[in-house]
Amino acid sequence: MFIGTEKLTYTYMSGTPFAATALNEVSFSLGKGEITLIIGPSGSGKSTLIQHLNGLLKPSSGRVYFKGQAIGSDKGELLRLRRRIGLVFQIPEEHFFSETIYDEIAFAPRNLGLAESEVRIRVKDALEKVGLRAEQLQYRHPFQLSAGQKRLVAVASVLSMNPEVLILDEPTAGLDPSHRRNLFALLDNLNRSGGLTVIISTHHLDDVVALAHSVFVLQGGRMVLAGPPSEIFTTREKLYDLGLSLPSVTEIMHSVKEKGLPVKTNIYTLAGARQEINRLKGRPGR
Amino acid sequence: MSRSITLGQYLPGESLIHRLNPRMKILALLLFLILLFSLKTYGGLTALFFIALGMIAVAKVPFRYFLRGLKPILYIVVFALIIYLFFTKGGVVLLRIGFITVESEGVREGIFVIARLFTLILFSLLVTLTTTPLSLTYGMSYFLKPLRYFGLPTEEVAMIMAIALRFIPTLMEESQRLMRAQVARGADFETGSIFRKAKSLVPLIVPLFVSAFRRADELALAMEARGYRLGARRTRMYEDLIAPRDWAVLSFILVLFSAALAFGL
Amino acid sequence: MVNRPEIIVEARNLAYHYPGEEATSFPALSGINVAVYRGEYLALIGPNGSGKTTLLKLFNALLVPSDGEVRVEGVSTIDEVEIPRIRRICGMIFQNPDNQLVATTVEEDIAFGLENLALPSAEIRQRVGEVARMLNLEHLLQQPPHLLSGGEKQRVAIAGVLAMQPGCILMDEPTAMLDTASRRDVNDMVRMLRQNHNIAVVHVTHFPEEAAFAERVIVLNQGRLVRQGPPKAVLTDLSLLHSLGLQSTAASELAALLREDGFELPSQLLHNRELVDSLCSLELKS
Ligand SMILES: Nc1ncnc2c1ncn2[C@@H]1O[C@H](COP(=O)(O)OP(=O)(O)OP(=O)(O)O)[C@@H](O)[C@H]1O
Ligand SMILES: Nc1ncnc2c1ncn2[C@@H]1O[C@H](COP(=O)(O)OP(=O)(O)O)[C@@H](O)[C@H]1O
Ligand SMILES: [Mg+2]
Ligand SMILES: [Mg+2]
Repeated sequence: MFIGTEKLTYTYMSGTPFAATALNEVSFSLGKGEITLIIGPSGSGKSTLIQHLNGLLKPSSGRVYFKGQAIGSDKGELLRLRRRIGLVFQIPEEHFFSETIYDEIAFAPRNLGLAESEVRIRVKDALEKVGLRAEQLQYRHPFQLSAGQKRLVAVASVLSMNPEVLILDEPTAGLDPSHRRNLFALLDNLNRSGGLTVIISTHHLDDVVALAHSVFVLQGGRMVLAGPPSEIFTTREKLYDLGLSLPSVTEIMHSVKEKGLPVKTNIYTLAGARQEINRLKGRPGR
Repeated sequence: MSRSITLGQYLPGESLIHRLNPRMKILALLLFLILLFSLKTYGGLTALFFIALGMIAVAKVPFRYFLRGLKPILYIVVFALIIYLFFTKGGVVLLRIGFITVESEGVREGIFVIARLFTLILFSLLVTLTTTPLSLTYGMSYFLKPLRYFGLPTEEVAMIMAIALRFIPTLMEESQRLMRAQVARGADFETGSIFRKAKSLVPLIVPLFVSAFRRADELALAMEARGYRLGARRTRMYEDLIAPRDWAVLSFILVLFSAALAFGL
Repeated sequence: MVNRPEIIVEARNLAYHYPGEEATSFPALSGINVAVYRGEYLALIGPNGSGKTTLLKLFNALLVPSDGEVRVEGVSTIDEVEIPRIRRICGMIFQNPDNQLVATTVEEDIAFGLENLALPSAEIRQRVGEVARMLNLEHLLQQPPHLLSGGEKQRVAIAGVLAMQPGCILMDEPTAMLDTASRRDVNDMVRMLRQNHNIAVVHVTHFPEEAAFAERVIVLNQGRLVRQGPPKAVLTDLSLLHSLGLQSTAASELAALLREDGFELPSQLLHNRELVDSLCSLELKS
């Protein structure tokens, strides 16, 4: 296993009346170079799980693995780990601490000990990748941005570290459709060309399910479903029961099928739906 | 975000102590403190200590919260004890190291002062653990009211205190947040010499202040959006009524005072 | 319609630029003329950074126009003295549920705005009780807000605004950070407000499915109002939306693709149900 957990349990504030068990014996694993989705209603433990994967939280019990080795508590090792596993927090404001957007994005490469000329290139590159214009923004304060721009800067600030694994906690909340698709296209691209392993937690499944190799569903701190998208999204009742939804396109295909038209439902993109509906008519789609 | 428990944080409850009027609680706390500092004998102090324990039981607040509250002052306690042990003279010599002596009067005084400090903290924690920060500040602003005549904007002072109270956990949260945000991007706080570690903390300090101000700014925005204006007249959801139980508590304290006087404690 | 609907908020030739904004970039808003009518449900859409949040803040007098003016029930927001009244009429809900709750219990939070209005205590308690019942928050009144779920926090925020009996509620992406179930919850509530209380709602959103339920949609781009009209007109103008990097609902997008392929689908189709019904009526089964 490349990254995974074994019977991972985590309790916030244990030993107080506020103790909350956020993860309960969660075991899962994913392979190198995969794109993984973690979904589940809010409070199901997604953010808690994610923060274990790069050692920000320490398990109350159980283990977390990276490259087949249990993540221990050796400080130097954790440091090296965190430089290889990038994490974008759920709330962009939680992410910022610098005076300018440039410094924000430069922070990680500087920690890697790169020369300033190299840092400059990384910053420009990262901003370009997420679809922001460097010359316009880079000397502004991170908080002088619109909601969506902040999120993109948060992603850029981790991309500039060139991590092997990129974990994004609900990265698309507040992004407009084109920035959202741009972000997913970027992740897909980095995954295909650079072998980047990607883990995404999200409530909003449009445009992302088509990229995913596997999907994990959390509820109440337990891993309740796991499998490839085609398996997870074939029965919608189960997801409804969990308070979850399907990608909009898949939803439409399910409804069409319910009305008696013989369509496949494991379809996650507009192009796929178009093709499938054309097939009914006996005409191949473009 | 973080739900960490901070010193003296409010614990919801329904007990008699929880329901006392905050003004009365503050007044009672003051009276208890006066009593505490006017007591001269171990007997009196012990009695008051047990009264504090009794009230804690009534409030149904688990005792470990008090222990937690006592922890931060441990250093002060040790320091005070040393001062008393070595510098207060009188009575029998208990210990002699070279020309330094520990005498029985020092031990007696030292323990007395510390017991007093503990009791004092128990009483203060009892108030902060059973009163929401907001009603606590409203209570305080009541006692500040006379200062209005000297031009002090007491309502605003109360609001500032309320916000400050709301902010203590926020600030602690904020420093944790900054640390996590930087650690997640490969900052190194933990390896290396102490000097290196201390140096690596420097980049945390400026952002901590900046973001504290930003948080304050955001909160101010949210408050303003709901019509809060500095200096404008406000009302409160609950009028500040003094109930019979408040009078009962006050009489109880007065009885204690007279007892202390009568028995010369 | 005999008598014209009453205007609650009106922007005339409105412009705003943030202090220190570089001269090279466009102002956050310019040349905006728009009105919000009593009881209407208005959706505000546009790419990231197009000025949606800025416009709401100007409506609520949190920002003062650089040029032109905003009038709330006929009163200009430049008028310092009128600001409390303006903020009572135009309540605001922010995107991040964590940054808008000001008090230490839910009850105190709902009461906060009413206390600012200096209402008598008895009336405050009565109104808090009323909105808590309406929004189903009674069981949470004594909880500290930070222990609530995101959806509950947004409901508390809405309750706090609603208690002030506003004429208009401004919502800045209230559902962006919520899961599917809470999003549905908040959206149901918004519809209920309009129907039962005749309160205007201005809803900023990146979800076309939410905008499709509005009565009117306004599109901003680079600080300018580029289009307004009923969803059936605006959200089916795909060439406009796509040119701005926006999208319509999945149903509408898919319908457009299928129309290209020769399917005869109605042109103003927005909701899944409409698409599914029309597809089935094409009798593809044969
Ligand atoms: N405090 C600020 N100081 C300077 N410029 C700002 C500030 N806040 C926003 N801006 C800029 O003003 C423009 C409009 O921002 P606004 O927040 O209104 O956008 P928005 O439409 O709400 O975007 P989003 O969909 O991302 O929330 C953007 O270009 C943004 O960078
Ligand atoms: N800092 C924290 N302190 C205490 N409890 C927390 C904290 N963060 C999350 N929790 C609790 O842990 C559970 C899982 O939360 P989280 O991992 O944030 O879920 P998700 O990301 O799926 O919304 C929830 O019950 C939540 O209330
Ligand atoms: Mg989360
Ligand atoms: Mg915005």
